[in-house]
Amino acid sequence: MKEKDQGVWIGEMDLTNDPGFIEISEKEFASMPEALGNTEAVEQMEGNRRDFLKMLGFGLGAATIAAGCDIPVKRAIPYVVKPDAIVPGVATYYATSFVNGGDFASILVKTREGRPIKIEGNDLVGYGGTSARAQASVLNLYDTARFKKPMMNDGSVWTDSSWDAVDKKVMNALSASSSIRLVSSSVYSPMKQKAIDAFIAKYPSTKHVQYDTVSYAALLDANEEDFGQRAMPAYHFDKADLVVSFDADFLETWGDGNKATVDFVKKRKIEKVKGAKMNRLYQVESHMSLTGSNADNRILVKPSEQGAAIVTLYNYVTGSNLVASSLNADAKKALQVVANELKAAAGHSIVLCGTNNKAEQSLVNAINAHLGNIGSTVDFAHANLTNQGSDADVDQLVSDMNSGSVDTVIFMDANPVYDFTANGKMAAAVGKVKNKFSIAYANDETTNICDAVAPVNHFLESWGDANPNKGFYSLIQPTISRLFETRQAEETLLTWAGVSYGDSIMDYLKSNWQNTVFGMQSSFGNFERFWEKSLHDGIAMVSTSGEAPSYAGNPNAAASNVTKTKVGDAVELKIYETGHMGNGQYANNPWLMEMPDPITRTSWGNYLAVPVDFDGVSTMVAMNDLKDGDLVTLTVNGNEYTVPVIQQFGQAPGTVALALGYGKAVSGLCGTNVGVDMNENVRSDANGYRTYSSSDVTVSSKIGKEKDFSCVQYHHTYGVQDTDKKTGEIINADEAALVTFSYGMGVQGYQGALTDRSVVYYSNLEDLASSVAHLDEKRAHAQHLNEQQIYGGHDKLYKQGHHWGMHVDLTSCTGCGACTVACMAENNVPVVGKKEVSRHHEMTWLRIDRYYYGKLENPNTVYQPMMCQHCDNAPCENVCPVNATNHSSEGLNQMTYNRCVGTRYCANNCPYKVRRFNWLDYTTADIFPGNQPGINGEEQAYGTDNLTRMVLNPDVTVRSRGVIEKCSFCVQRIQEGKLTAKKEMRALRDSDVKTACQTACSTGAITFGDMNNKNGNLSHKLENPLNFIVLEEVNVRPSVQYTMRVNNRNKEIDA
Amino acid sequence: MRNYSSFLKPLLVIFLAMFGALSYAQVSADAGKTLFRNYCASCHSKDMKKKMTGPALGGAEERWGDYAPEDLYAWIRNSQALIASGHPRANELWNEWGTVMTAFPNLTDDEIGSILSYINCMDDGSCVPKKDDPNTTVGAVEAKGTPKWLYGLLLALLAGLALVLARVISNLNVISEKKINPNAVVDRKSILDILTSKGIIGFVLFAFVLLGGYTTVNNAVSLGRQQGYAPEQPIKFSHETHAGLNKIDCQYCHDGARRSKHSVIPATNTCMNCHKAINYGSEYGSAEITKIYVSAGFDPAAGKYIENYDDMSEADIEKLYKEWIRKSNAENDEKLAAASAETLNDIADDQWEEIVKSLTNDEKESVKGPIEWVRIHNLPDHVYFNHAQHVTVGKVECQTCHGQVEEMEVVQQMAPLSMGWCINCHRQTDVKFKDNAYYSAYEDYHKELKSGDRSNVKVADIGGLECQKCHY
Repeated sequence: MKEKDQGVWIGEMDLTNDPGFIEISEKEFASMPEALGNTEAVEQMEGNRRDFLKMLGFGLGAATIAAGCDIPVKRAIPYVVKPDAIVPGVATYYATSFVNGGDFASILVKTREGRPIKIEGNDLVGYGGTSARAQASVLNLYDTARFKKPMMNDGSVWTDSSWDAVDKKVMNALSASSSIRLVSSSVYSPMKQKAIDAFIAKYPSTKHVQYDTVSYAALLDANEEDFGQRAMPAYHFDKADLVVSFDADFLETWGDGNKATVDFVKKRKIEKVKGAKMNRLYQVESHMSLTGSNADNRILVKPSEQGAAIVTLYNYVTGSNLVASSLNADAKKALQVVANELKAAAGHSIVLCGTNNKAEQSLVNAINAHLGNIGSTVDFAHANLTNQGSDADVDQLVSDMNSGSVDTVIFMDANPVYDFTANGKMAAAVGKVKNKFSIAYANDETTNICDAVAPVNHFLESWGDANPNKGFYSLIQPTISRLFETRQAEETLLTWAGVSYGDSIMDYLKSNWQNTVFGMQSSFGNFERFWEKSLHDGIAMVSTSGEAPSYAGNPNAAASNVTKTKVGDAVELKIYETGHMGNGQYANNPWLMEMPDPITRTSWGNYLAVPVDFDGVSTMVAMNDLKDGDLVTLTVNGNEYTVPVIQQFGQAPGTVALALGYGKAVSGLCGTNVGVDMNENVRSDANGYRTYSSSDVTVSSKIGKEKDFSCVQYHHTYGVQDTDKKTGEIINADEAALVTFSYGMGVQGYQGALTDRSVVYYSNLEDLASSVAHLDEKRAHAQHLNEQQIYGGHDKLYKQGHHWGMHVDLTSCTGCGACTVACMAENNVPVVGKKEVSRHHEMTWLRIDRYYYGKLENPNTVYQPMMCQHCDNAPCENVCPVNATNHSSEGLNQMTYNRCVGTRYCANNCPYKVRRFNWLDYTTADIFPGNQPGINGEEQAYGTDNLTRMVLNPDVTVRSRGVIEKCSFCVQRIQEGKLTAKKEMRALRDSDVKTACQTACSTGAITFGDMNNKNGNLSHKLENPLNFIVLEEVNVRPSVQYTMRVNNRNKEIDA
Repeated sequence: MRNYSSFLKPLLVIFLAMFGALSYAQVSADAGKTLFRNYCASCHSKDMKKKMTGPALGGAEERWGDYAPEDLYAWIRNSQALIASGHPRANELWNEWGTVMTAFPNLTDDEIGSILSYINCMDDGSCVPKKDDPNTTVGAVEAKGTPKWLYGLLLALLAGLALVLARVISNLNVISEKKINPNAVVDRKSILDILTSKGIIGFVLFAFVLLGGYTTVNNAVSLGRQQGYAPEQPIKFSHETHAGLNKIDCQYCHDGARRSKHSVIPATNTCMNCHKAINYGSEYGSAEITKIYVSAGFDPAAGKYIENYDDMSEADIEKLYKEWIRKSNAENDEKLAAASAETLNDIADDQWEEIVKSLTNDEKESVKGPIEWVRIHNLPDHVYFNHAQHVTVGKVECQTCHGQVEEMEVVQQMAPLSMGWCINCHRQTDVKFKDNAYYSAYEDYHKELKSGDRSNVKVADIGGLECQKCHY
């Protein structure tokens, strides 16, 4: 393997100095569409004289009419009876819970004038942040695709119906049935369970089948066998010095990713050089997952080698000699090192396994038990209850349905036809059932073949509870009246069961809490008090304990049942779940659909990740000579798919990977027909467990080019290096363009400090001292250069009052992307659609740049959140001809949309490339349909309907076409926080002002504050010796500082 | 010099005399207005033309013209005494109206005089506030300064003088030329020549373009501004009565102003706090107050809210409130107490029609539900304004931006709400710096204030003119 001596790289094009890429990176705005060779778009853009005259005439006419019109009468509509809790113009927060299948989060919901507009984390659970999924869930409330009233399906046509009609039809069918199935995602709500029990009591022939969209059945079954508990333990990463993960993406999709991230990162924060300590993560996997990208060492194995790898580790750790099938030599060598470290970290380490193979799970249990981790870092007393699905139950259901013994099936928050196809047999089996009903939120593949649908509320319209971990209860309360004629699932079940639940389902919930949770706690003697406190807090903790279970498994038997390595050159496919799409549950959320995948940085579709190899001389070669955006034919289990390709560093040789959750046939606006669906290739293994990989795979060579290649990796790049053709020196590609432009008349040259730009700093823990010394040297040099100026600077201006600044800890940032979604939600950042993304037109104010460093074939990763740096010496401000962007006395780089005339000089002059231009009317602010982009072939442009617009933050301007926008440091929050302090006549506190990205980040990687407040959190963070300023040498004096990324890579493995 | 002063003196005297007379009349009528409000308005109509509990007072002095003025004064002080004394006019009125007018024995002659002059000026319209003229206040301010026409006159005089002088210089030139050389032919330009010269035409054109451009730009800038906007509201709510006469605090109803960006138009239930008890207006009787009841679903006859008002049919609502209108008018209006059922029905029909018209519009079909007021103060697009910042933190009086609302029968927009207007205020207003610990962050200013180098801190000094204080 080779190591790149030039530090970080962003992708293959960067590494190989691809001329096309360098050309693009020289310009802020790629000269579209020629750069993409998209001739159709060129033709579309051409105008002619007649069009010009038409537009001129229309413009004049419109202006005349507009000027002559009377001022329209605007109405002010007050309440009739104003609720005490609401003051128009002031946000009200409610504590509730985000629940979607196995995803759970305790959250606060910000409502304005009764509209939920933003999700925040509930810090009473110990940390404040949320996942990107939870952040985006508020948009689903205003989904135009959701069911608006009960509907019936007459063969192929859905018609509006009424609750009376649907209830009657369902209850008649239920009464006449002798075998009923209720299929749902995992139920961990005591209230929902009670409703289901009531339903089963009424219809005793009912069997309740639960499954998880991505199965945990093997883990659960293995734990039941080995520990007597069918549950996923709570993993205490904050107590683990060493984590070994076999294909478990525990920082994102596997288990409670958010909590795991918080605890994991706690052990990685570094504030001083001397005595710095860190945990270590080994990730054994084929495809680079988010967890893998944050791992210190990745051990590359093919999916089929996982079994052998686990047996090997078991042997090394325990000294046993179980038979393992073949494993690549590198992995074998590495696992020996891992085993030695594990033995040293016994009792404070964790071994995880994400594969859905019971034998492998059992062996991992054996390793944890051998190391004494059970009861310390692997905790069954607080076991996670969010995943309870059973693959066997689903298989039984399919065979029952196929045999015709099921009369009625009810799907509740479940879409197995898409996401749990039972080897592709689910749809046909469901078709054989006489009565099929669905309790669903929006139409999907399963509901579409049902006879009637009972639409459910959004969780923000519902009452409910959740018990995601033993001893932890969380309440769900409505934050808005139901928008449509919907009913929550519990109401529907109870109605069908003929059980009365009082005036409101809240009474049902309350009485259930009185009988259950109230009795488990001892802090309150009065139920009303307990209820009010729990509702206010959103959560209730009850004490739970229990002896750590002892391991009762049989490793020997397990070792013979693990996955056997497929020998030979056959390509293997890894099928994985992404953080933003899940297994399709989030496909219809435009924020998540447009959010780039943290690793591949692709959006709007799933891209086949193919491995890249170094040819040993100068170029990187990907499998089959494929380049980014090439279309290939992928054949899996005989099914052919046409998929675009993305080159993936760190992808195990001989493997490819493709994400789940795409290619939905029935969904809403942005979920339908985007990407390809891999669910039918999730097949059962010999023991009936779903396997998320396949070895019956071929990948063709290039068959075409994707039309709209929507990967943002090469967009808005800076600090790109090239070789000067004359001198052979390493130069900065974008700077070269500038200098040639300025001194084009024969004078060419590069200023010394500008050629080696400081974009990202990273270090190995062992080398920290020398890395910091190196950093100090570089910074001193940059600061020396910056002092050589004739201008006095602005320091005096910001000396008093506030001077806003930010700090980003690159070691704490796992790249999850919650901040980017939070930013979109807070700042009304538009969704632009695939085509616009392919044209570099994504509007995100906050992007997460992903850089690789280290070994070319198995690199480490740095994520760098990049937003406006609010330079005190801002280059964008000097070039604006209309002073639309200027500086405030509080150090903010202000963008004034009303003044902006769209010259885009500022964006061209921004060294960080964080300014975004509204090329089209993305927010549908004007009246000309031609200006509005379609995000996914919709008839009416996305966001033009009043429903979707309800999510807009009323304190932030909706930008129109033709203006530049960029991160404002959430100025609306700054102003609000200042006002709070002023009203209370006290000095500003850190807690008054927090930006949206900061509150979304669970690991605390982002800190915002007043640099003039010497006692504030920010000032403390700014003292970190690992801090650096991006592009410090260009003397723009940014207000954002970063802390160097530190890894704890074990070099012994590389040697 | 002598000429000018002799010319200006009489002008000044005339002007001062006019202004003085005007202000005197204003003072007297003003005093009368207050007295009228306090003593008379509950029974007599404010416009002096409508009959209410008591007769319309317009022309009262004329009607009493046949008798000594003392009789009218005595009547006002104690009507019953005058009737008892057998005064013919007094008995005529007693027979016509049959209502006892409250006695006001403490009113002085001057006060009664003021009231009468207020009645007269209200009656003939000479002191009715011009509702449609937005410049009432502005005009009043200008009247105190030098009148515009005086400038015009001065300009004309100066221009004439310049012309005469030019002519004189020209003549003198000719004379001197002739003196040197009597035979010289002096080319003298006529006024026409001068006026049609290139220079003058060029200058006029230039001035025309400049002025035209200036006017166009100014008008374009003020497009969409609505200073003086005073639309008709669904309810003829009088701030003059509520905030002025009854001295209800602005923030009692506009309770958002102290804590929110919006001052908030009060919910109907805020109105109901008082109007549960006050169910018959002094000015419009049942016509306006019933609208509140219809909006909120309050049954004033029963004194409680109607249950299931949402499900009540429009016909039932109509029936209920028409009944109320008949009843309340018969009870509260002495004149109508004995009126026929038909008259009352007509009143109820008319008022109901008006109620329906006010409480419904194209988008709102039912009379039930919120009252859709017409928004008067519309900020330009893309501006963030926060009332709490100004009211609670800045301690700015409501009147500073909204004008003397407590004197407005119909509210109108006083300020232009333009950016220039905002900015000016931010330049001129002191920050309430010393008593608010928040501003401790501005250490330098505190030092300067202490040392005396600085006497105040304006809003502009702490960034009040920056874009992103209001635009984001």
